[in-house]
Amino acid sequence: MTLAEGRRDPEELPNRPGFWRSSLNPWTVRTRDNPERVAFVLHRVTGFIILAFLLAHIIETDSPVWSQYFPYSGLSGWALWNHIMAIESGLAFRIGEFIVAGAVLFHAPNGVRLLLAEFFGVGVGRPGDPRPPYVPGTFRAAQRQWLYAVFVVWIVLWLIAGVIIFS
Amino acid sequence: MAMDVEAARRVPPKQVIVRVRRYDPEAKRMWWQEYKIEAHRGMTVLDALLKIKEEQDHTLVLRYSCRQGICGSCGMTINGTPRLACQTQLTEVVSEANPVMTVEPLYNFPVIRDLMTDFMDFFNKHRSVKPYLIRKDKEEQESPKGQYDMYPDEYLQTYQYTNCIYCGLCYAACPVVAADPQFLGPQALMYALRFVNDVRDEGWGERFLIVDTEHGCHRCHFAASCSAVCPKAVDPAGAIQALRSKLFRYRLGLYKRRVSKVVGPPPEKGERIQLPPEATLLPGVDLKKLEEEPVVIKLPEE
Ligand code: SF4
Ligand code: SF4
Ligand code: FES
Repeated sequence: MTLAEGRRDPEELPNRPGFWRSSLNPWTVRTRDNPERVAFVLHRVTGFIILAFLLAHIIETDSPVWSQYFPYSGLSGWALWNHIMAIESGLAFRIGEFIVAGAVLFHAPNGVRLLLAEFFGVGVGRPGDPRPPYVPGTFRAAQRQWLYAVFVVWIVLWLIAGVIIFS
Repeated sequence: MAMDVEAARRVPPKQVIVRVRRYDPEAKRMWWQEYKIEAHRGMTVLDALLKIKEEQDHTLVLRYSCRQGICGSCGMTINGTPRLACQTQLTEVVSEANPVMTVEPLYNFPVIRDLMTDFMDFFNKHRSVKPYLIRKDKEEQESPKGQYDMYPDEYLQTYQYTNCIYCGLCYAACPVVAADPQFLGPQALMYALRFVNDVRDEGWGERFLIVDTEHGCHRCHFAASCSAVCPKAVDPAGAIQALRSKLFRYRLGLYKRRVSKVVGPPPEKGERIQLPPEATLLPGVDLKKLEEEPVVIKLPEE
């Protein structure tokens, strides 16, 4: 008993689903009428993509400095910068740019929706008297429309970004 | 997930293949076992499993009690979705084209044997949010001198949440419970809101402290799968967002709500309080009209 009174340490729990089951849970559990879960998974994945991009971006923009101490394939300073810029104008990096653009364009509008719902409790409906066909209030409330709007805005902006990046 | 009433009228395929994920704690062995059963119209997944237990394999272990979606003990993962076995018609999960159904124990719960899971942690988490009325006046709480007033709209703030049957389906569907076993889970957090919303309760400060942790309501990421699988339309996902926004306001010192007063003495033992008939009738029901023309309930044709 290391937790608050009455709660067991999960390490003590026998036969609990392990790391793989937990990681697979967003994919293995099937739920109906639940685009929020799709958004949850996308929000995670796009979050990781953005994080990876930011780290790479910091290393890249800082390369004229760090390469003075740790030269990369014999290049340092602005010579390395020009070398990196030459690589990044290639098609593979454009595709990467396109993916990052898609990640940001989903993550940002969905983040606004989540902020509104999670911190201000708006768009999630009010408790009431459940009536047939027993659709939960959250699924009838505004956040569902916002979510569809997020998907539409995302795809449209992503297409525009694609045109800008590849033309 | 709402019950599919129409499903009971459809006819399932004659022969249904049930694949059960079994677990033997002594041998610590997990395996899939296949059974073939004769299905009939109106058969639920629970009926199918009991038929297997009766006619084919007595060693199959499952938990059930009411067979009518009230006790919340028959939750299991059917075709990948956490559902109540007694409320799931075979026709909802199998068809002529695909007569195979998989049944697994509920996800995110430790398995005891076969389809039976350990709810200890789930109930402990429920207990940890203090699921009872708390009054500042302890004397009044122990020996109440009257009833607490509550208006219908205030009652509706809690009613939906009291429908919870502790079936654990929400807990099994939640991706965050899967990743963080210490997360309080949708059911416990929803129950914290049920008492925070209750005008008869004054313990919101204590409850906000309990849920305002790393493993409390901030952990929820609003995947809303809990609401999608809840058989009673309790909507824990909405409840958690409401709880979090209230906690947010509480931390800013802005949270306020009415606390009900003690009104009138409680009835004497054996004394009955006469209520006006309107108070006991559903809206739209006319007593006089009912006396004149009795209600005829039409049953569907066989
Ligand atoms: S809304 Fe929160 S508690 Fe419910 S399934 Fe999603 S993450 Fe879990
Ligand atoms: S909230 Fe719904 S799914 Fe969760 S335990 Fe209660 S009745 Fe079951
Ligand atoms: S047996 Fe009671 S809910 Fe299914």
